[in-house]
Amino acid sequence: MHHVEQVMGMAVSIDVRSPAPCDSALADVLSWLHHVDATFSTYRDDSDVSRFGRGELGVADLSRDVEDVLVRCIELTEQTAGAFDAFAVPAPNGTMLDPSGFVKGWSIERAAVILETAGAANFCINAGGDIAVRGESMPGTSWKVGIRHPAQADKLALVLEVRGSLGVATSATYERGAHIVDPRTGTPTTEVASATVIGPDLGTADAFATAAFVLGLDAIEWIETQPGYHAYLITHDGRTCWSADFPHPAKAPPRFSNRDDHRSLAQSRSPQSSRSPGS
Amino acid sequence: MQDGRLVAVAIVQYPNDDGKSVRINQRALPELQSEALAAQSADVDTVSGATYTSDGYVRSLQSALDAARAAGAIAA
Repeated sequence: MHHVEQVMGMAVSIDVRSPAPCDSALADVLSWLHHVDATFSTYRDDSDVSRFGRGELGVADLSRDVEDVLVRCIELTEQTAGAFDAFAVPAPNGTMLDPSGFVKGWSIERAAVILETAGAANFCINAGGDIAVRGESMPGTSWKVGIRHPAQADKLALVLEVRGSLGVATSATYERGAHIVDPRTGTPTTEVASATVIGPDLGTADAFATAAFVLGLDAIEWIETQPGYHAYLITHDGRTCWSADFPHPAKAPPRFSNRDDHRSLAQSRSPQSSRSPGS
Repeated sequence: MQDGRLVAVAIVQYPNDDGKSVRINQRALPELQSEALAAQSADVDTVSGATYTSDGYVRSLQSALDAARAAGAIAA
């Protein structure tokens, strides 16, 4: 089964390899995605999120899904030390509430559960560049997930081979201009050209990718404190770095300049000078 | 929050003071690597990238992959 749906302002590609899900599965997934658009869109003045952002709805008026998303966004702000913040950056609807950086991945994760419940096991959903994979592309074959090169639209920076249950999210500005604002300063952030985060939950990976883009090169140290999530960064001059357990196919993870400098400095000291005073 | 439920939300701007000068001085930067570009996109199943609009999708590698898949060029 293969289908491309225009929804939430983007193309969502649904690619089910096997087994074929039950007949209603595709309709259920599409119905869910259009429901998410109507409920969470910050481009629609009548969505629940827009109305809540304007104060027309109170907390007690929110559906469980909207409440769960806002709670998770608050948790993600804590996990990212403010680098992802759904409550601090102006949204397209003019309010200061924009959970879109989490909602896209969260909704695709839920769509994957709908497909799994309907019997599909090996599939891939790509929502405007954020991807949920399940199982394998073919029996015995990993999914090959390309990461777009930020400066060259027809080139890939890297091809990841992944299987099982995984989310892949990339945050960058080459498609829509400098739209990623550092919520801690209110100014656009530009240190890296592209930030990709992989991990078990696509909603979290989506928010973490935004946070990693905002953090720039500091994202590598930060993501290594988040179990199960790994990051890959591309700079404006086309160089890359990635966190310790990122499944880079070719190379070991990069070393840290300052960290290694400190270590080599300590090692190069004579035994006398490295002793503490009084020893 | 109480017991994982939302009680109230205040939508406020974060203060600008993040101790930036201190943070920069203490940065441990990852060493950057040069990456060989993967020249062709033909051998991938899907492409991760910045969120594209519906217009951007038309020009994207993912769009080409979807077209190939729809045409049956890639076996199910």
